[in-house]
Amino acid sequence: MTSKFSNILLAAALAFAGLLAGCDSAPPPTNLATAKQKAEQCVEPTAEMRRNHMGMLMHQRDATMLEGIRTKQHSLKECVNCHVAPTKDDGTPLHYGDEQHFCTTCHAYAGVKIDCFQCHADRPEVAQDPNYQHTVGSAEGHHFTQGVTAAAEPTAAEVQMVAQPQQGAAK
Amino acid sequence: MSQNRVDEYRRKFVMALGGTAAAVTVAQGFILREANAAGEVSSRPLDKAVTSDKRWGMLIDVTKLTDGGAGMVEACKKEHGWGNEADSDEAQKTHWARVVKVTDKLTKNSFSLPVMCQHCEQPPCVDVCPTGASMKRADGIVQVNKHLCIGCRYCMMACPYKARSFVHEALHDQKPYSPRGMGTVEACNMCIHRIDNGQLPACVEAAPDAVIFGDLNDPNSTLSKTLKDIGGKQIRADLNLNTGVRYHGI
Repeated sequence: MTSKFSNILLAAALAFAGLLAGCDSAPPPTNLATAKQKAEQCVEPTAEMRRNHMGMLMHQRDATMLEGIRTKQHSLKECVNCHVAPTKDDGTPLHYGDEQHFCTTCHAYAGVKIDCFQCHADRPEVAQDPNYQHTVGSAEGHHFTQGVTAAAEPTAAEVQMVAQPQQGAAK
Repeated sequence: MSQNRVDEYRRKFVMALGGTAAAVTVAQGFILREANAAGEVSSRPLDKAVTSDKRWGMLIDVTKLTDGGAGMVEACKKEHGWGNEADSDEAQKTHWARVVKVTDKLTKNSFSLPVMCQHCEQPPCVDVCPTGASMKRADGIVQVNKHLCIGCRYCMMACPYKARSFVHEALHDQKPYSPRGMGTVEACNMCIHRIDNGQLPACVEAAPDAVIFGDLNDPNSTLSKTLKDIGGKQIRADLNLNTGVRYHGI
């Protein structure tokens, strides 16, 4: 009984190892060619961008829609301007369904659907200057000139109000 | 560097405006003809949030529109890329602005005017929206936040101006500055991307002799002065919506 069970376990382990060997263990390289022609470095370090670009885009989206802030640092339009070529190598338009599209290279591997491009342009306007790009790390992000760093110091009364326990609060 | 370029551009524009303002002061009366710059633009830095200090609006002189506003509608189409949906029928096709012909039944007097979102101070479309997608920005611009829009089309029903339309089919190759997509409602947003960048809306640029764009809150803006001089009518003024788009000659 025990030996039969261990046989099954062994067979399962072997099958799993075979499955792993059949897969590529590393993600495919992202298509960075277009961006590298234009800039030395992205708006944030690469590791930061890989992990957190969706949060930045979401934050920028609300700032733009609700408050009309149109800084370039974390704008989707600027991502596309720098990272995506308007056409494929053969001159036909490049869309986000194509494997060559910068976003798709990674999203296809990760199995994450991109909803952005159902509405947003997935490639730069052809009429636009192909060498156009904004300055990296300059005052193009709104947190450089306002927000956390420019927040006013709390007054003494405010500090006291926060420090004091609220009436009726749980002790 | 690019920030400096923007400043340089703004400086030039403000200087140009100064010139027009002087001309307007000299020639009292027929201000509409003289104001070729077609009004004031925003000078807000790109990294500052909009405030309610300004309220954008426009005055359209229908008597000076030789084509009844068709040119303005065409400019809007070109700017935002709407109206060429291949798989939608005529009733389904989107319209951000349209030319409406009005005829008096008795006298047969008839004229045309461009009708788009009137950017109400009390917008019915915002009242009825279940998700908060239909919104009024602090500076008075009414727009659809398509990230939140679920396509229920309540706002289309609520709007007395038939300004909103629904995208019935999947789109591609949208304009980078004007995202549009299937399943969402859309309408004139007064070229919000152009206003934020210190430019005039596309339709105003297309008809600079007939339209004045500017700040309704500022009593010294060309728009407010002209409205004070010659007046401006709201469509369906009886609804008390206090529209941002006014008409002369209707």
